[in-house]
Amino acid sequence: MPAIIELRNVTKEFKVLDRHEGLKGSLKDLFSRDHKIVRAVDNISMSIEQGEIVGYLGPNGAGKSTTIKMMTGVLEPTSGEILVGGNVPYRDRIKNAQEIGVVFGQRSQLWWALPLVESFKLLKDIYQIPDADYDDMLALYQSLVDIGHLLHKPVRQMSLGQRTLSDILAAFLHDPKIVFLDEPTIGLDVSMKAKIRTLIHALNKEKKTTVILTTHDMGDVDALCKRIIIIDKGKMLYDNDIEHLKGFFGSYRTLKIRVDGDRKAQEAVIQKELPDLSVTADEEWITVLVDEERAKVIDVLGQLQRSHHIRDMQLEEISTETVIKKIYEGGVQ
Amino acid sequence: MKVKKYLSLTRAGIMESLHFRLSAVVMVTGNLLYLIVVYFLWKAVYASAGTDIVNGMTFSDTLIYLVLATALFNFMEMYTVWEIGRSIQSGQIVLDLLRPMAYRRYLFWAYSGTFVTQFFFTFLPTFIVVAAVTHGAIHFGIGLLFFVLSVVMSVSINYSIDFLVGTICLYTGSIWGINIMKQVIVLLLSGATIPIAFFPEPLRTVVYHLPFQSIYNAPLSILLDGSLQPQTVCTTLGTQFLWCIVMMLLSKLFWKVSLRQITVNGG
Repeated sequence: MPAIIELRNVTKEFKVLDRHEGLKGSLKDLFSRDHKIVRAVDNISMSIEQGEIVGYLGPNGAGKSTTIKMMTGVLEPTSGEILVGGNVPYRDRIKNAQEIGVVFGQRSQLWWALPLVESFKLLKDIYQIPDADYDDMLALYQSLVDIGHLLHKPVRQMSLGQRTLSDILAAFLHDPKIVFLDEPTIGLDVSMKAKIRTLIHALNKEKKTTVILTTHDMGDVDALCKRIIIIDKGKMLYDNDIEHLKGFFGSYRTLKIRVDGDRKAQEAVIQKELPDLSVTADEEWITVLVDEERAKVIDVLGQLQRSHHIRDMQLEEISTETVIKKIYEGGVQ
Repeated sequence: MKVKKYLSLTRAGIMESLHFRLSAVVMVTGNLLYLIVVYFLWKAVYASAGTDIVNGMTFSDTLIYLVLATALFNFMEMYTVWEIGRSIQSGQIVLDLLRPMAYRRYLFWAYSGTFVTQFFFTFLPTFIVVAAVTHGAIHFGIGLLFFVLSVVMSVSINYSIDFLVGTICLYTGSIWGINIMKQVIVLLLSGATIPIAFFPEPLRTVVYHLPFQSIYNAPLSILLDGSLQPQTVCTTLGTQFLWCIVMMLLSKLFWKVSLRQITVNGG
């Protein structure tokens, strides 16, 4: 299958004014010419195929949004090549816009004061969607989520969840080849998150739409993505299957125990007893991350049992969340 | 099919502006107050002048001119500078840039619905009242057709200037000062606050060579001129047309260059 998105050695640099501190500094800034170059995206290459759902992850400020803006054509890369659906996005921004859909979690492209259906009709005309396709799409939406009561509700009266749902539907309306979802589930409750994940999954299946998903919610990643790409400080850290990623840390197990006494104090004690392992405590559990290649969980447990009264315990596979956290903190080689 | 996507935007604009009906009431009230101030101000000016005709205009000539200028202002003012500035500050502009049409065009058509509602709610009533009260200050006939043509070009010039100024927000990131400056310059030099006939001679010459007078002075002089000469009409409309093209090209070019700047350096 040919790639629908192709990035080759893409770098993006910004020139920012070097701000000085304090009132004096602010006055100095008025005349200052001290610019420094910030490299937001550093030599990134990727190739994404039609119909994939790719999780694009990274800590805040990693360069995710910058990459998305380059792929949508709002920003021009400093060097490197980008091809999206055969277009060079920044050069053919308007043509490219016709073939992509975008949802930014905190913004809405809908007409605030109007009922949702009016926004849809407008998008139909703006994207020049044929009547038949439009009707099919609405029928599909109706079968996936109950949009009947949403259609006639003004967008400004919607809850955040309803609005996000509507924005996602709006982004898919003209049957784009690619949809960029930038933190679509931010601030939503659990049931709405699930609803939106199901919707994205169904639309991807039904329409073979490529989805690029940025999120900080590992639930989204687990539910939707087979492949993930992780960047940090503009550099690519990881690009592969999610299963493969877990393989990196496959030998890790999370051991959770509950012991008598103050958890914080116990955490310190246990950390002292197990200097090679990472020990953390939350409201309920003391968590020990065990690398099975170096120490058996049973041995660790045995050691702990000798000096503590363990009231309860759990053993867990490492979660995606922990894996990603480890990558953010230490990186994979 | 192509026109339809623009007209759809107009339609949504009409619906949106009708949605905020209270704001229309506030606006009409505000204008009424403004017109009362204008009335007493100019009454005082004429009283102190001691003659009935100042600079070739009687008191009622001046008043009619200013009332219609205000009506025209309400109809034409698009608050483009605010619109662009705000969407830059909030980052919303990214979404607007991703519409499958040129931003300059999108913004105009997205606003165009308000033209329609403003026309029916403020301009037309004012126009009818002025026509009825003054008995013949407005000349119905072919002049009215020229007036309409002239207003269409005014709208275009006004938008181009607004868009040009709005583009500056891409660099400054602030809107307030720029907008106020634009407002004062345009309203003064276009003859919207003081008829150009009242300007001192040197300034008047300068003003006639600037695009601003084509916005308010041109259509109003066509409308209110009792003895309209074909030659005057031609020069006025011709000048307007020229500015129309020039400002459109300028604002398009400036936007293109600026946007490139932004996409290269980031916003």
